[in-house]
Amino acid sequence: MVDAQTITDNERWAGIYKLLDRNSLIHPEFEPQEEIKEFIQSCKILVIGAGGLGCEILKNLALSGFCDIHVIDMDTIDVSNLNRQFLFRRADVGKPKAVTAAAFINKRVQGVTVTPHYCKIQDMDEDFYSEFALVICGLDSIEARRWMNATLVGMRDEDNPDSLKPLIDGGTEGFKGQARVILPGITSCYECSMDMLSKPTGFPLCTIANTPRLPEHCIEWAHILEWPNKHGERKMDTDDPKDIQWLYETALARAKQYNIQGVTYSLTQGVVKNIIPAIAATNAIIAASCCNEALKIATTCAKNLNNYMMYSGNDSVYTYTFEHQRKDDCPVCSTSATKLDFKGDKTLEELMDYLKEKPDVYKPSFAVGGKPLYMQAPKQLEEAMRPNLQKPLSELFSSGDELTITDSTLPFSLQVIVTFI
Amino acid sequence: MDAKTQKYDRQLRLWGSGGQQALESAHILLINASAVGCEILKNLVLPGIGQFTVVDQGTVTQSDIGSNFFLDADSLGKSRAERAAELLGELNEDVSGHWVAKDILSLLTENPSFLSQFSMVIASDITRQTAEKVSSLCWTNLNAIPFVWVKTVGLLGTARVILPEHVIVETHPDNVADIRIDSPFPELSNYAKSFDFNTQDTLEFGHIPYVAILLKYMDEWKQEHDGKIPGTYAEKNQLKANIRSGMRSGDDENFDEAINSVLRSCQPTVVPNAIKAIFSDPKCETLTAESSSFWILARAVRDFVNDHGKSGGLLPLSGTIPDMKAQTDSYVTLQSIYKTKAKKDVQEVSNLVYIILESLGLAPGSIASEEIETFCKYSAFLKVIRYRSLEEEYTLPKTKQIASWLSEEDSAFAQYVLLRASDSFFDDHGRYPGEGNDWEEDVDHLHANVATLLQSWGIDTEVISKDQTHEICRFGKGAIHNIASFMGGVASQEVIKLITHQYIPMDNTFIFDGARSVTAVFAV
Repeated sequence: MVDAQTITDNERWAGIYKLLDRNSLIHPEFEPQEEIKEFIQSCKILVIGAGGLGCEILKNLALSGFCDIHVIDMDTIDVSNLNRQFLFRRADVGKPKAVTAAAFINKRVQGVTVTPHYCKIQDMDEDFYSEFALVICGLDSIEARRWMNATLVGMRDEDNPDSLKPLIDGGTEGFKGQARVILPGITSCYECSMDMLSKPTGFPLCTIANTPRLPEHCIEWAHILEWPNKHGERKMDTDDPKDIQWLYETALARAKQYNIQGVTYSLTQGVVKNIIPAIAATNAIIAASCCNEALKIATTCAKNLNNYMMYSGNDSVYTYTFEHQRKDDCPVCSTSATKLDFKGDKTLEELMDYLKEKPDVYKPSFAVGGKPLYMQAPKQLEEAMRPNLQKPLSELFSSGDELTITDSTLPFSLQVIVTFI
Repeated sequence: MDAKTQKYDRQLRLWGSGGQQALESAHILLINASAVGCEILKNLVLPGIGQFTVVDQGTVTQSDIGSNFFLDADSLGKSRAERAAELLGELNEDVSGHWVAKDILSLLTENPSFLSQFSMVIASDITRQTAEKVSSLCWTNLNAIPFVWVKTVGLLGTARVILPEHVIVETHPDNVADIRIDSPFPELSNYAKSFDFNTQDTLEFGHIPYVAILLKYMDEWKQEHDGKIPGTYAEKNQLKANIRSGMRSGDDENFDEAINSVLRSCQPTVVPNAIKAIFSDPKCETLTAESSSFWILARAVRDFVNDHGKSGGLLPLSGTIPDMKAQTDSYVTLQSIYKTKAKKDVQEVSNLVYIILESLGLAPGSIASEEIETFCKYSAFLKVIRYRSLEEEYTLPKTKQIASWLSEEDSAFAQYVLLRASDSFFDDHGRYPGEGNDWEEDVDHLHANVATLLQSWGIDTEVISKDQTHEICRFGKGAIHNIASFMGGVASQEVIKLITHQYIPMDNTFIFDGARSVTAVFAV
């Protein structure tokens, strides 16, 4: 057992310190300074997610010399995580990921403190997020990414340099992945690359109900149509093997009826849980890329990624690095509004129905110039404003006015300039 | 679902039980438990390789624990091989780990056939001299052993795959659909003709499968054009227009599907050139009792294709069709027509396989029927990679290709040159450039190594600047965990592809430039 005191930073971080102590002719603007080493040790860095990417990110940051790392994850450990989330063992199944991951890193790497937060990212406020110098996301949902992106972009104040929180985001699927660096208010943000107007994917209901052809159609029939039929109000628990077994048997029976092959337990799980294949190798690549960028940003020892790297490994090894452009009318990071042409004689309800076809818009509320037009809540306000739904738009506002649309599902408000046609 | 299937669910969806079995039968050797070596093994132990062995004579130092997650403070002063094997082994209870605290060259002197027990050899951060020795033994082993050599230097990483030949059937292409609109087999044509395009039933009309629609209009076209399918862009547009004219309403999705498939369907179904090359390969031409199943199957498929009466001159039908707007029973029937023909082709190929096996004195059961079936399904996507050996790389440089790579702006190949020059520096000085405190003094020496290498290729020594050489000295062969982890991911993924014979491995040198966040693959 070696005394922790005899471990010296100069020896331990020899590889990194070579970069930090030595000047570069390729990056002449880099100036070796002791303050940089102090910064790495003292700054607070936040990791979102302690799953496939998160475990790798925590390891990488700890072995980059960061000493004060926080991690948020609302999940508990599942057996299917064990093939890649290497901070967890079989005995940990059921425990919170953030807590278990933090404990492992704290034990393995001398001098680092990982502080876990077993909660949703939405449970923390701007005061919490403003404490960090950098945020690295290893999330598995678009919704969570959008929220984090909108929060950090919203926090940025041009007059306060400390309010700029670089966001490094990674994602993987099978042999593919991407890593990107977002400097809120400066580079393109996560929302800039979302297509607000794209249709959600899925199988048409009429195919599922009437003309199934693929095993997936049979599974979705059991999932969407037959389950409520047989179970009423009770919601399916996709993590309960009994529920999946019921789905599988029901889907199989339907498939037999139609002579369709291919319904398996594995496919059933995959369709209903939207399972994405995942392996350690791809997560390692993307997480390492993210942390490499984190170290470069924190130390300026080399130029950071500007700003998007896509990776694909099923055929040879291929990456594509490019600068993703900001969208002029990005609802999150730009100051200008989206434009929409709409008939002035249509009602507010018709506008609402049109917007509801877009992903993420479920129960929108409307305001113009700060004045509410229709609010979904509270109840009294909703009832009072309901008549506005039947009024033609031209009665409610003028062509060219800017509407503010909010929805509990949108992590930001949508500014739309409506021109009557 | 049993415990192992549950644990491995997310990866089984990529490589199936066949791939998993291959991994579980593998015994992997890691030479040198450096940071990148251990990261590679981590990504192999987690998915459940059968066994691994770590060979490393070193003891754990402080800089080891600063870059390597599988060596900790408790490991200081202990055997690197032992501690790494221990901490890697506890990642997965299904995997057996072993270790030998010896230097590989001494091991090989004691036991020249030490490597034969391994299905894969990985070496991390070893000297070129050691790599050449190990590579040669792997290459000339009775059954050649794939060798993957990986290095990290500061913000750079590189991986080299070395083996004589690698064959792949399950390349996992994006689309295996084989619908043969341009050359329909009789059963398909007949079924297509059974649809009533004059039906007054709108539901029925709207559910005629697009394959039948395409076949009808393609057939009409051929009759008016001397049996030929549309060739020019204008002709293809005309066919689209013809189909469009048959629509009854703007909503006929099935007609839209047909129109969207015109361009693809007008590409004649042929035997791809890559497959023709496999057919004319000497290993397909000349079979022996030692031939692998891949080459025996290739020959059988070749003989099938050459028998026009059975094959129409085409590869076995894959049997897969995409989903399309159709009534259930028409789709299922259509699907079974393709599947039946595919089965028939598999049967014909199987007969040819048995004939070949018999002629070689091998038992008919030597090649399982599932293997024949899979081979036929993917016959249009087979791949054979022949790698260049280290010896060929060093003694027979592809000078023209190298000049071309170096002429590109910001070429990542410059890093390859610098890393090779660093190996020469090591040969001269017994250490790597920039390792000591007087690191800048190494710049001139290293640049001279660079110049020698470039001159040997007949390339202007100006293509690599002294600034770039200076940067390598700045790195000082430092181990940086992020880079080790990135390379660990890439190398382990290639190892998995090589062991499972699924997906396509890179050929043959991968470079990661962590400063510029770019990568490249060069077949040196």
